[in-house]
Amino acid sequence: MSADPLQVLASAGKGESTRGLLRVIILLLIAAAAIASRLFSVIRFESIIHEFDPWFNFRATKYLVANGFYNFWDWFDDRTWHPLGRVTGGTLYPGLMVTSGIIYHALRALTIPVDIRNICVLLAPACSGLTAVATYLLTNEMTPSPSAGLLAALFMGIAPGYISRSVAGSYDNEAIAIFLLVFTFYLWIKALKQGSMLWGALCALFYGYMVASWGGYAFITCLLPLHAFVLICMGRYSTRLYVSYTTWYALGTLASMQIPFVGFLPVKTSEHMPALGIFGFLQLLAFLDYVRAAMPSRQFQTFLWMFAGGTFGLSLLGLVLATSAGVIAPWGGRFYSLWDTSYAKIHIPIIASVSEHQPTAWPAFFFDLNMLIWLFPVGVYLCFQELADEHVFIVVYAVFGSYFAGVMVRLMLTLTPVVCVAAAIAVSTLLDTYLRAKLPKPEEIQAAEASEGKKGAKSGLKSTSKPVVGVYAIWGKSMMVSALAVYLLIFVLHCTWVTSNAYSSPSVVLASRLPDGSQHIIDDYREAYQWLRQNTREDAKIMSWWDYGYQIGGMADRPTLVDNNTWNNTHIATVGKAMSSSEEVSYPIMRQHEVDYVLVVFGGLLGYSGDDINKFLWMVRIAEGIWPEEISERSFFTPRGEYRVDGEATEAMKNSLMYKMSYYNYNNLFPPGKAMDRMRNSLLPEVGPTLSTLDEAFTSENWIIRIYKVKDLDNLGRDHTSAAAFDRGHKKAKKASKKRGPRRLRVD
Amino acid sequence: MRSLLSLFSLLAFLFAAAVSALSTSGNRLLVILDDVAEKESYSKFLGDLESRGFQLSFESPKSESLALFHLGERRYDHVVFFPTKTKGLGPNLTPNILVDFMNANGNVLVTLTSGTAAPNSLVSLLTELEIQLPADRTNLVVDHFHYDAASAADTHDVLLLPPPTSVRPDIKNYFGAGAGKDDVLAFPRGVGAALGASELLTPILRAPRTAYSYNPKEQAEVVDDVFAAGEQLSLVSAFQARNSARLTLVGAAEMLQDKWFDVEVTKAGANKAAKTFNREFAKRVSGWTFNEIGVLRVNWIEHHLNEAGGNNESNPTIYRIKNDVKYTISLSEYVWTTWSLFTVPANDALQLEFSMLSPFHRLALTPSAAYTSAGESESGYSATFKLPDQHGIFNFKINYKRPFVSNVEEKNTVSVRHMAHDEWPRSFVISGAWPWITGVGVTVAGWLGFCALWMYSAPVGGKRAGSKKTQ
Amino acid sequence: MRWPTLFSLALFGTGSLVATAAAKKTPPEERFNVYHAKALASAPVKLSDPSYRELTSSSRDYTVAVLLTAMESRYGCQLCREFQPEWELLARSWTSGDKKGESRLVFGTLDFGDGKDIFMSLGLQTAPVLFLFPPTVGPHATASPEPVRYDFTSGSQAAELVHSWVARHLPDRPHPPIKRPINWMRWISTFVVLSGGLTVSYAAWPYVLPIIQNRTVWAAITLISILLFTSGHMFNQIRNVPYVAGDGRGGISYFASGFQSQYGLETQIVAAMYGVLALSGISLAIKVPRMSDPKMQGVALLAWASVLFVVYSLLLSIFRGKNPGYPFSLPPFM
Repeated sequence: MSADPLQVLASAGKGESTRGLLRVIILLLIAAAAIASRLFSVIRFESIIHEFDPWFNFRATKYLVANGFYNFWDWFDDRTWHPLGRVTGGTLYPGLMVTSGIIYHALRALTIPVDIRNICVLLAPACSGLTAVATYLLTNEMTPSPSAGLLAALFMGIAPGYISRSVAGSYDNEAIAIFLLVFTFYLWIKALKQGSMLWGALCALFYGYMVASWGGYAFITCLLPLHAFVLICMGRYSTRLYVSYTTWYALGTLASMQIPFVGFLPVKTSEHMPALGIFGFLQLLAFLDYVRAAMPSRQFQTFLWMFAGGTFGLSLLGLVLATSAGVIAPWGGRFYSLWDTSYAKIHIPIIASVSEHQPTAWPAFFFDLNMLIWLFPVGVYLCFQELADEHVFIVVYAVFGSYFAGVMVRLMLTLTPVVCVAAAIAVSTLLDTYLRAKLPKPEEIQAAEASEGKKGAKSGLKSTSKPVVGVYAIWGKSMMVSALAVYLLIFVLHCTWVTSNAYSSPSVVLASRLPDGSQHIIDDYREAYQWLRQNTREDAKIMSWWDYGYQIGGMADRPTLVDNNTWNNTHIATVGKAMSSSEEVSYPIMRQHEVDYVLVVFGGLLGYSGDDINKFLWMVRIAEGIWPEEISERSFFTPRGEYRVDGEATEAMKNSLMYKMSYYNYNNLFPPGKAMDRMRNSLLPEVGPTLSTLDEAFTSENWIIRIYKVKDLDNLGRDHTSAAAFDRGHKKAKKASKKRGPRRLRVD
Repeated sequence: MRSLLSLFSLLAFLFAAAVSALSTSGNRLLVILDDVAEKESYSKFLGDLESRGFQLSFESPKSESLALFHLGERRYDHVVFFPTKTKGLGPNLTPNILVDFMNANGNVLVTLTSGTAAPNSLVSLLTELEIQLPADRTNLVVDHFHYDAASAADTHDVLLLPPPTSVRPDIKNYFGAGAGKDDVLAFPRGVGAALGASELLTPILRAPRTAYSYNPKEQAEVVDDVFAAGEQLSLVSAFQARNSARLTLVGAAEMLQDKWFDVEVTKAGANKAAKTFNREFAKRVSGWTFNEIGVLRVNWIEHHLNEAGGNNESNPTIYRIKNDVKYTISLSEYVWTTWSLFTVPANDALQLEFSMLSPFHRLALTPSAAYTSAGESESGYSATFKLPDQHGIFNFKINYKRPFVSNVEEKNTVSVRHMAHDEWPRSFVISGAWPWITGVGVTVAGWLGFCALWMYSAPVGGKRAGSKKTQ
Repeated sequence: MRWPTLFSLALFGTGSLVATAAAKKTPPEERFNVYHAKALASAPVKLSDPSYRELTSSSRDYTVAVLLTAMESRYGCQLCREFQPEWELLARSWTSGDKKGESRLVFGTLDFGDGKDIFMSLGLQTAPVLFLFPPTVGPHATASPEPVRYDFTSGSQAAELVHSWVARHLPDRPHPPIKRPINWMRWISTFVVLSGGLTVSYAAWPYVLPIIQNRTVWAAITLISILLFTSGHMFNQIRNVPYVAGDGRGGISYFASGFQSQYGLETQIVAAMYGVLALSGISLAIKVPRMSDPKMQGVALLAWASVLFVVYSLLLSIFRGKNPGYPFSLPPFM
């Protein structure tokens, strides 16, 4: 009687179809979980675009939806980089915008009226669901165990390392790029395993999509050739490899060259040379293979192999020479800084100044991957067991992914998939081992012992030479299983906690806790941008540091001088110079660039760390890179090498426009002599700075954003300082008439 | 389009003429005097002003009712200061108020006279404009060679000067033009000013080389240090602010008095007496100050694509690099009562700048007859040029600032975009691309040929074929 | 006893007299020629107190670039020793670049050992210091005779950077480029080493081959590199963080406070813990189920599982130390 339900339970999930159904259901649930865990910010705040770059993508998407594809393709944006303008259509990766545009029109066609903003906000979570599925497929290629794929999908779905760039509202290229990355790898493995042109072509197709979406495509461009090269070195050259690689390379390169921003880079720059080299090398190998098949003669073969090696070496040499001769462009700055890790700091301060280009400390790894970080090596080791081509891929990917992630925080993103796959392999192996119900039988052991001899012959890992016998003790199994359950539980809790605490705040709106624990929303950014939108002319040029360019363009809809697309170092340095030199110097610069308003971010009142005074040194450095005679970083440090804003601040600091704009009228908030900068917690001098070429136009509630209007030339032809003095009531009559000595004579 | 514009401007002009006087900026004129009785001595001058349509209202600086602004709006369009005994002009005429008055496009005519000190607020106002008056304010300009023998035989303090000539060759002579060569200006008991280097200042009437300024009280015996001498002494000076508000300083108020309008003066050394040119001069100076002459008006500005087949939309916001563009501006000049053609003086040019950060083109506009005919009062100037090969946000800039002529500063912003993807010549048009195109063709043909060969050649042994096939 | 001291005193007196006299008398052109000749012999010119004074005495129609350094090892000036070869390279290539002295520039080096008084008089606490004395007379004369000081705070001191700095301050004069001599020794040595290595490897090929083809070796290499990278090794490389730092109370603090900072030792500890965790995971997944003896297996299982558990809880507790407010923990390290 009581056995029946057990029977039913046991027999359930035996049938293949039931299993398939279960898998689909589980996958759907995982995708749902992945999407749900990214909605914190929407629930907490609202459906809003986050951070900086997404604002540009959002703006571009709106333009695309409004004006159609070809206008977008030829878009000349005259509201950024004033007065240079930006050839936006040719300098962006259109994949993201086009994707959401297609979704938008598709939904319209289905008579579902939906705001483009909501599509942009929710695109990243939707793609994360797809990423989970792609990871499932990829992992299934690695191991026979069906549970590994599901585990990998789960890990990928909720791993903070991926959530960090794909929460709802972070409408950035990575949002879809990671899905494309994983899926391209899956297709590559598939093509490699089957040696089929079809899969290779599909791989190339998605590679093209990836190129259209994210600059990180170079990672694929370098990883696949590397994989092929390693395989060749392992003597695993095969027609499968030849077919899949050549198909991918030929079609993929053509596809990538269709993107105007990429253009001819694939045949010009060093990042793409490995792929080309391996392509040629493969042709050579195929030829040699054919020849060897034709004439079997030992010496001849060895000679041929020498020949192959020699050609490879020569081509490498040629590459180096061509690069040094400048025929092939040397490595691009961002890419190069991955190898020579001290390069960026010296040569490209802009790149070094970006926070997400900093190296990764170990807590960040653990924060983003929790227990996966130590399951990762286990999985890689397991891949060594039977080292098929796809496992080689995992190994190569693991090593290089972890190197890049160590060098740049942002590349944690590319590491996460392989970590999830490897960890899933490990966990599934453990579970398969310790969840097997039946105990090992003695005769099996005998058989195993007997068969051990020939097993040991094959060159595998030493540890796997012995046969698997299984676990005897029930208590052992239950202990391990429960321990694993605890670890997994902690992992899930960790991911949820990290997501909700670290990665779900749209840095546009700041949330802080009041002493009584209640949440307090600091909304200065949007307040200020709304002010700009409603109180300034349609074409009022706003000067600010480049971090805020995209937001001003997106939220305030006003032209900016520089923005987060830092393509023109000189223009940024100009703004840096205007900010870091005295009014007399910077006023002509602002006049020349037709600046109407200047926007600064000031955290002194609130203790907000991300303000311009803290970023000031970068402005100085970047400006110094162009005008070493006029700006020098040293002059902003006190003789004792301190960076101060209080009474001991250096003259250059006190006279700089940035300092004046930050602390103008700040004393009036405090009783005399008590003016306090809560960020740098330093006491400010008694008398605040005076501005003569700017008028304070707006200061937000918490003083985070301060906007100044640039005065016009004086109507009576005086310089601004004397005009301001006259308005304050100081007549210069006495001084002038007292003035003795030869007067300047007029000649006309 | 253009004719419509001109029509509008015509209507606007008629409207303006109807409401205000024949000055282009209002006819409410305030005269500041110590007491209203004094105005009798200026009756002719003031009468001329009234006859030219100004509504005069007289105030003394002491009166409380005196206020230049009412609810933030100007109550008067022009102010004339006649010499006052009081040193201070009271709280209603502080320098800051006067500066605000000028910033609000109000015009000021200041007259000084030796013997009565100029009020403090006027002095500090003038100092702001870099016009310096002698420190001790009873200075006197004398000239021992050009004086009126009739009235100032021994004091030599009534200067007789020829009517002014134009300061620079490229400037129309607004003040001395048409004067006979025996016309003389009488400059009685005046104060000379020294002008600073400000480019907004221009002397209308300079002292002769032999004149100098001294203080009769302290320096009666010996003149040790001279405030200024010769042509550095500006007797009548003009200041025009950036917003074309004008201020004129007349060193001798007596110039404008009736008795110097129709008195016979005799040059030193000459025996025949002559009529003074003062009345005409006063008319011209006041007319210039109160925007009756030397006022320029931009009627309309138009630029369009100047290419065959291109659309001829007016004032488009965006062009493409290397487009041919035509730019036209229509100007009028106001002469006493009517808007008339504005003609750029000889050896001067009206220049157009096409600039982004720095000018890419600087062209002299040429008068174009096609637009000049419109209404006989508008003269068009135009230029045709090819846009630079540089995309960006450019400005059509006209910056025509000359002394005695109101400032013309016009800026029209256009974007210049790059070539669109379908605006390049097709590949088969470019001869350099032919090798590659043929290469493509050859490859395709070769591949097809190979496939055909492959399919129609019987396999020698199934094994090799199988090994060739790549599945 | 008395004679030597007197003697030396006299000598010193005369020496200084001579020096000052020279500084007084010789016209700038002569001075320049003298020192330029010296420089041609061996650039940069090694200066001492009097020669420094003479060279940099005012009314000079030439530019002087003086490096005030402290080479002796007891001063422990690391930067000085790093910069010295670059400096000499710059001086040599510049001087040989214009033998006729058209750029009117003399390179000099003053070591603390030879010029204590100068250091004192200038009140210099740190070395190296690079001064550029602009000419006070002649065609290139500048407004202020005060020397310009090179900023050593910015990290790298490649000769090229200093060269560009000097060139900036010497407008409209020839700027001989830097010629880095080809390091033949290194080339030869690398060639020898390479060929040697090749021959050795060829000879030892049969023995090396199994190692190369051995999977376990490769697995070990892979895992070690992964552990290195994931434990923040590159961060140490780039930011060259200290290995350990002392806490306030004289002890050693192994773990840097703060999320974005770490010590060298810290990363090694973390890497070791990752290693232990991975090892136990591997043995639980592979070794244990392959044990044929039940008792042994049970013991191993228990041992590895407990190691895993304990180390993981330790890791969590350490992480809580780095990131206050992190809520999760496992016994025993709660």
